[in-house]
Amino acid sequence: MPTMPKLTNLEYYQMIQAVLLVIGLWKLMEKCGEKGYYALIPGYRYYKLGEIAGRERDGIACFVFEIARFLLRVAYPVIPDESSPEFFVALIILAVMLILVIYQIRVISGLCFTFNRRKWWIVVWLFFDWLMFMIWGFFKQFQPVNRGVDDDDNLLAGTKPFHVQYGSQDETADTGLQVQLKERTVNDFGKKRYLLKDIYFTIPVNSLVLLLGGSGSGKTTLVNAVIGYEKANAVIRLNGENVYENYDQMKYKIGFVPQQDLLRQTDTVYNTLHDAAKLRLPVQVSRRKSKERIQEVMDVLGLTAGKSGLVSKKSGGQKKRISIGMELISDPDLFILDEPDSGLDGVIARELFEKLHDIAHQGNVVITITHTPDRVADLFDKVIVLARDSGRVGRLAFYGSPDEARKFFGKDTMEQIVMAVNKKEEGGEGRADEFIAKYAELQAGQLTQAEPQETEITEDEQ
Amino acid sequence: MSSKLRYRGRIAQIGIYLGKLFRMFIYQNDWKVLPMAALIAGLVTFAVGNNIFKTQEGTLSGCFSLVCVCVWNGFFNSIQVVCRERPIIKREHRAGMHISSYLAAHMIYQMFLCVLQTAILIGVCRMANMQFPEKGLVTGNFTIDLAISLFLITYVSDILSLAISCLVHNTTTAMTVMPFMLIFQLIFSGGLIPLEGFAQKLTNLTITKWGLNNLCTLGDYNSQGMVTLWNTVWKFREMEIEGTKPIKLFTDEILRKNMLDQVLLDSGKYNTVADYTYAPATIYTCWRNMVIIMVIAAVVSVLLLKSVDKDRR
Repeated sequence: MPTMPKLTNLEYYQMIQAVLLVIGLWKLMEKCGEKGYYALIPGYRYYKLGEIAGRERDGIACFVFEIARFLLRVAYPVIPDESSPEFFVALIILAVMLILVIYQIRVISGLCFTFNRRKWWIVVWLFFDWLMFMIWGFFKQFQPVNRGVDDDDNLLAGTKPFHVQYGSQDETADTGLQVQLKERTVNDFGKKRYLLKDIYFTIPVNSLVLLLGGSGSGKTTLVNAVIGYEKANAVIRLNGENVYENYDQMKYKIGFVPQQDLLRQTDTVYNTLHDAAKLRLPVQVSRRKSKERIQEVMDVLGLTAGKSGLVSKKSGGQKKRISIGMELISDPDLFILDEPDSGLDGVIARELFEKLHDIAHQGNVVITITHTPDRVADLFDKVIVLARDSGRVGRLAFYGSPDEARKFFGKDTMEQIVMAVNKKEEGGEGRADEFIAKYAELQAGQLTQAEPQETEITEDEQ
Repeated sequence: MSSKLRYRGRIAQIGIYLGKLFRMFIYQNDWKVLPMAALIAGLVTFAVGNNIFKTQEGTLSGCFSLVCVCVWNGFFNSIQVVCRERPIIKREHRAGMHISSYLAAHMIYQMFLCVLQTAILIGVCRMANMQFPEKGLVTGNFTIDLAISLFLITYVSDILSLAISCLVHNTTTAMTVMPFMLIFQLIFSGGLIPLEGFAQKLTNLTITKWGLNNLCTLGDYNSQGMVTLWNTVWKFREMEIEGTKPIKLFTDEILRKNMLDQVLLDSGKYNTVADYTYAPATIYTCWRNMVIIMVIAAVVSVLLLKSVDKDRR
């Protein structure tokens, strides 16, 4: 008859610890509205703790490294004793365990925030994890009071968008930019996460458009989806051509100027633009035409005077103009700029936006993201307001003229509009869901009546 | 509907980036790698002395030092070149740049740097009166054989370093990874620290192993004398055994009969290494393996850099 192997005192102690840890975690999971039996699954339990703690990425890392550790420990006994591979595998196990502990500490740190407890609990967890989970699981004083409160700007996008009913969006525009974005999602360990949802608008040509929204509202994600760089479940048409279907051609008709001046500092202004022209202009464009175009762009942006100077020697405003010039070379139909005025003073910023206004009114669509819109608000023809809904998903809260926007939100300035849709934790009014629903209703009304419908703003909203 | 426009393809883009890189060579600090290479070569030749290509010990340590100089030069040439401008690459990729063209331009430019560094290294060795064997094993000219070998070691290290630069996202990480890579290359060269089993198999992945095999073969290591045995015996000359000094008698007899060179050569024969067999095939194997490492590193570089689009903003 087989006999049970005799356990040492240390093994008994470890076994009791493991049982207590599971019991404590079970209670803690239940306290946080999760299923208690998750505590029984090594790896996955830290993933769930990561979710509870608002540190999902760290939770995912814990899960991955726990699996890696498990696999390595399974493989370890198979390797011949005292061989070189055994030594290397032991080293890898050690490294994996160290990394795992770091990620677990991050999760526990987040858990301290969720339970509104001091960080020294991490030390308790480090030596007596079972004890900490027992206390946090069983004692009533320990409650997840900050569950769902964002402590981190990089928090993953939500899985449950705020529900809004939209009308049909099947019309096709032959000119301008038409955006019919159903959703932009990412797959995160089998979970569908929404970055953007239900964004529909059509911008006519000759428009300078302001893209407004708080941090994390999805402005850059929308821009990347519109230019086809990160494709979404959407139909994007630029002057009637489908951007996604003809991306190889369309990418040359779209200019995107990033927020940072991504330029090689040790090249001259002229050479920078010259190389940009070679890359962006079709081969059919002759050398003479190409040179003329470079000169034209330098003239428009006021770069001719210092064209032989190194980029590194130029001021912030000049670098910004070089960066814009690189994209302007190809005379794009759609021109998108991410905070082109960051680091520029009021006068230079105004000059820049006036130039962008002129570019837009030469038959183009120019979209800009800026955090200081009010100093140039009169130059914009349209405003797009994005907001992060209660499900942490980027949504369209408004699209229309600046005057209509002020009326819609009941605010005097663009910055006040951003504050209205920003979360309360960010100092905003936390009214994103309200305006998303209101705009969807307005849009649906417009579609059914085929005429613009003014929305009444109540006194409360004002 | 507009007619289809053609934009510059891969080959044309290589030209654009090559022009940019050569301009950078002048404007930026890239030219500084050349005096740096001369300085390092000078220090190493000074330390190696004149024993290289004369005795097995001198050849081994000298060749190892030359390999180290090449690996060092190669690593430093390109460890930061990609990661320092990753956001710019992302922007240009979005605007139609081909990653393969961008990296091909870098590889051609780095080849130019490595050729110059190899020429400097050989020039410095010559200036330091390092005695080269008269005959080359592959081309018949030792200097040309050595130049090809040193160039390959430098260039392969350079491309490996380029792959690391494509993998990491910033210069801080690159400079953290580089010492680790250097240590791996030096320890697992198999030349200085004897390795066995699994560790010995790992040496096949290093540039230093093939570089060292290459240079030791070129220098005809196996037909040289070994001085370690004689030097050790010499230290025991005064040792007395029952009132006599047998080791002193033995060494004096060898010197009296003018047999020292023969003894050194004979002791060298017992210390031959199969990997250093003096034959063109050995050199070709080393060159081939280094080229394989280079090709793999180049392909990996392109694959790694394709992920630049996924970089967080």
